[in-house]
Amino acid sequence: MNRQIRRLALGLIACYAILFLQLNVWQVARSDELKDDSRNNRELLRDFNSPRGRIITADEVVVAETIERDLDGNVVRQRTYPERDLFANVTGYFTLGFGSSQLERSENDVLAGRTAEQQLQLAQNLFTDQDVSGDVILAMREDIQSAAKEALGEREGSVVVLDVRTGAVLAMWSWPTFDPNILSDRTRTDTLDWFNFLNADNRKPLLANAYQERYMPGSTFKVITTATALRDSLIDLTTVWEQENAFTPPQTTDPIENYGGSTCGGDLTEVFTRSCNIPFARIALTLGAKKLVRATDDWGFGENLPLDLPRPVASVFGTVNDFEDDLPMLAIQGFGQGNAQMVPLHMAMVAATIANGGKMMVPYVVSSTVDRNGKVLTSTSPTVWRTPIDSETAAILTELMIGVVRNGTASCCMQLANGVQAAAKTGTAQLNAKGEPMRSHAWITAFAPANAPKIAIAVMVKGVNDEVSASTGGRLAGPIAKRVLDLALRVLGP
Amino acid sequence: MKFRLIALAGLITAFAYLLAALGENSEIPAGAGTFLIVLLLLVVVAHFAVKYLASAADRLFLPLAVFLHGIGFVMITRLSDRLSGLQATWSLIGIGAFVGTLVIVQRVNDLARYKWGFFTGGVFLLLLPLVPGLGFTNGGARIWVNLGPINFQPGEFAKIALAIFVAGYLAERRELIAAGTWTIGRLHLPEPRDVLPLLMAWGVSVVVMVGEKDLGSSLLFFMLFVVMLWVATEKMSYLVVGLSMFAVGAVIAYNMFDHVRDRVEIWLDPWSQYSGKGYQVVQGMFAFGAGGYTGSGLGKGFPTRIPAAQNDFIFAAIGEELGLLGCTAILAAFVLLIGAGLRTASRTQRPFEQLLATGLTLIFGLQAFIIIGGVLRVVPLTGVALPFVSYGGSSLVANYVLLAILVRISDGAARQVGDAPDTLTLSERWELRKLRKAANEPAN
Repeated sequence: MNRQIRRLALGLIACYAILFLQLNVWQVARSDELKDDSRNNRELLRDFNSPRGRIITADEVVVAETIERDLDGNVVRQRTYPERDLFANVTGYFTLGFGSSQLERSENDVLAGRTAEQQLQLAQNLFTDQDVSGDVILAMREDIQSAAKEALGEREGSVVVLDVRTGAVLAMWSWPTFDPNILSDRTRTDTLDWFNFLNADNRKPLLANAYQERYMPGSTFKVITTATALRDSLIDLTTVWEQENAFTPPQTTDPIENYGGSTCGGDLTEVFTRSCNIPFARIALTLGAKKLVRATDDWGFGENLPLDLPRPVASVFGTVNDFEDDLPMLAIQGFGQGNAQMVPLHMAMVAATIANGGKMMVPYVVSSTVDRNGKVLTSTSPTVWRTPIDSETAAILTELMIGVVRNGTASCCMQLANGVQAAAKTGTAQLNAKGEPMRSHAWITAFAPANAPKIAIAVMVKGVNDEVSASTGGRLAGPIAKRVLDLALRVLGP
Repeated sequence: MKFRLIALAGLITAFAYLLAALGENSEIPAGAGTFLIVLLLLVVVAHFAVKYLASAADRLFLPLAVFLHGIGFVMITRLSDRLSGLQATWSLIGIGAFVGTLVIVQRVNDLARYKWGFFTGGVFLLLLPLVPGLGFTNGGARIWVNLGPINFQPGEFAKIALAIFVAGYLAERRELIAAGTWTIGRLHLPEPRDVLPLLMAWGVSVVVMVGEKDLGSSLLFFMLFVVMLWVATEKMSYLVVGLSMFAVGAVIAYNMFDHVRDRVEIWLDPWSQYSGKGYQVVQGMFAFGAGGYTGSGLGKGFPTRIPAAQNDFIFAAIGEELGLLGCTAILAAFVLLIGAGLRTASRTQRPFEQLLATGLTLIFGLQAFIIIGGVLRVVPLTGVALPFVSYGGSSLVANYVLLAILVRISDGAARQVGDAPDTLTLSERWELRKLRKAANEPAN
């Protein structure tokens, strides 16, 4: 029997060798794959029970922090957002049940202390449970963000404020939004209901509409049509268009009209400040699809905006092929109707580019990250994204936009405090077809002071009801922009 | 020399216990001192029990068992304070059963005489959970018995009783069975009266286990029987036929029983049933993945994410917090324990003891393989306890009884080969004293 017992021993050892090999497969070979699996929330759990840094605005208001609280007799950590919904679209949420979003997700390494530099500090103090979490410092300001929120009020839409020289995002607000505390509160039992409720809302409150949605721009787009024609020397300040109230482009019998069916014409300054439609339809046709599409590419259309937040979207205009057999569409997109769509953040970047002499800066919300001891881990340095126009074209556009504020579509509402001169372009994007109830988005894009620009802004109010749709960009979006610009100029100083 | 080994196992447990407490709460728990003293006492008692009751036994058995038991206990404590208290009580009973078995069983060969008694007892234990009002189902298998304050699995003890029966039966008739004197054509088969009782006994046991949906135990007992038959008859054909029968049985079971089919499907692809039946297996894999080479450290991982981490999946919990290193140590301890068991089997001269040592070694060696293999997805998962490590009183006590019998066989083997003087056992000394007394008393 001893021979059999020896063989049995070998057989069993072989079995255990197989176990050892398989153990290596899971613990070594496929360890990373298992750790990265989206269903594996161990990393999140670990982060959840560890210290986590704060997210702080440029004016030193804490907008996200971790507190300790009592849960059924246990002390647990929980993320709170003292400013409630004000920065929800930027900080996002950090929850056990639904994962994390926005900066809580993209800056997780710094906040949780997982960057190489922070881990090194941990290694130096092996035997003390040291807190190595880091803070994220925003370029955004709580005071300007609050002003944007109050100015927009209960209307659906977005407000984006940029520093024209650096591209820093000073405020980025959109409504509806949500209060991340509802999702992160560990004592609540209805968080799943809330999450499903927010997710099901077709106004998309969980999405940052200011940079994750795009809308028809309307007449604000005329800035780009004008810039392209100026650069191409197709027009200059002396070009004159005849007075007309209808224009029928090729390939159709359906005429293009001006806003409200009015008769409109004159020199460039006049048609720009009065925001006539027909001259810009004619410019688009004369330029041709190729030149206009290439110009929009230069402005960054068709490319996801280079913002330091997760999943920004791109503005769209169309391709050359789209317009080859559809010249009427090219004509109406020349004044921002049709299939043209712009992201509110991008619209603010257009104004900032004109204000910055033609240089379009990379927008950013995080200005720096620092460790527990205040040492800077990373800091954002302003960089140019694109240069769609030269400084001369920018100067002419500035003059035209000053005209809009002085005696054009924004003259009602953009006279800033202390006599500061603003430059602006309004837009009223018509959404309805003929015969349907009137629906339009109200836009304004502006910067100030016009002679030495500091701040650019874009305001978009969604045309969801009669009240919004009955008004124009200048009357509706103008006062919002004025209120925010006044406050921003006051807090940032002359 | 031997005390050093067992002291090492005790020290490892003590340190692991303190580290787990520190890892979880950053402070030494209040009861730590008492715990460490009780631990030390238990280890010393078990050590001296072996020293005085089975001094010539292989010195590896007890330290390896204490090591596995200790790591398991620390892990259970780390998973649940409530279970920790219960397992501590069971640990006392387990060590008590170990010492008790050493005291009661002094000549293992004597057990062979009661083989049919063990068979009856074994089947009785197996059938207990089927008694209405007494037995109940937990985790899909009806293998539990409720005795007022405690629940236990009689099947854990039935395995040992049945192993004693099979060893006893085969030791007696193995040559007759191997001879194959009944010829049908060219086939040489054993006489029906030699094998039928055995086959029936085996059939009854397996049918009961399958009926209770205790897949792990069915598999274990089937393999135990086939391997012991092969070792006893020294005929490879029995192993081949037995394994073929197993394959046929597995295919039939797969087609007949939903719960068998579920297990196989989860084994092949747990991911597609992530939120259902595959959840436990996937969480186990996540635990191994999170552990990596060195593990998260005791108290620093999230093994509570795995359902039943303290029972079937304790190996995954160890994988998460102690990593590849810790798991390898557990595997090595089992391999060494198997080695010690089979070395004992080949050292002893008596066929019954040889077969019993083989069978008992196979019980824990195969059981550990079945559950670790199930957790690692080497084989389909069938829920059995990891010997000495998992939470559960019946399993712990049964394994200490099993260990004591192995120690006893090992001690006897050393005396048979002359490594140690064949001193008198406790009861023999007692008889001798009585005889001497009687001789000294004046006859009247």
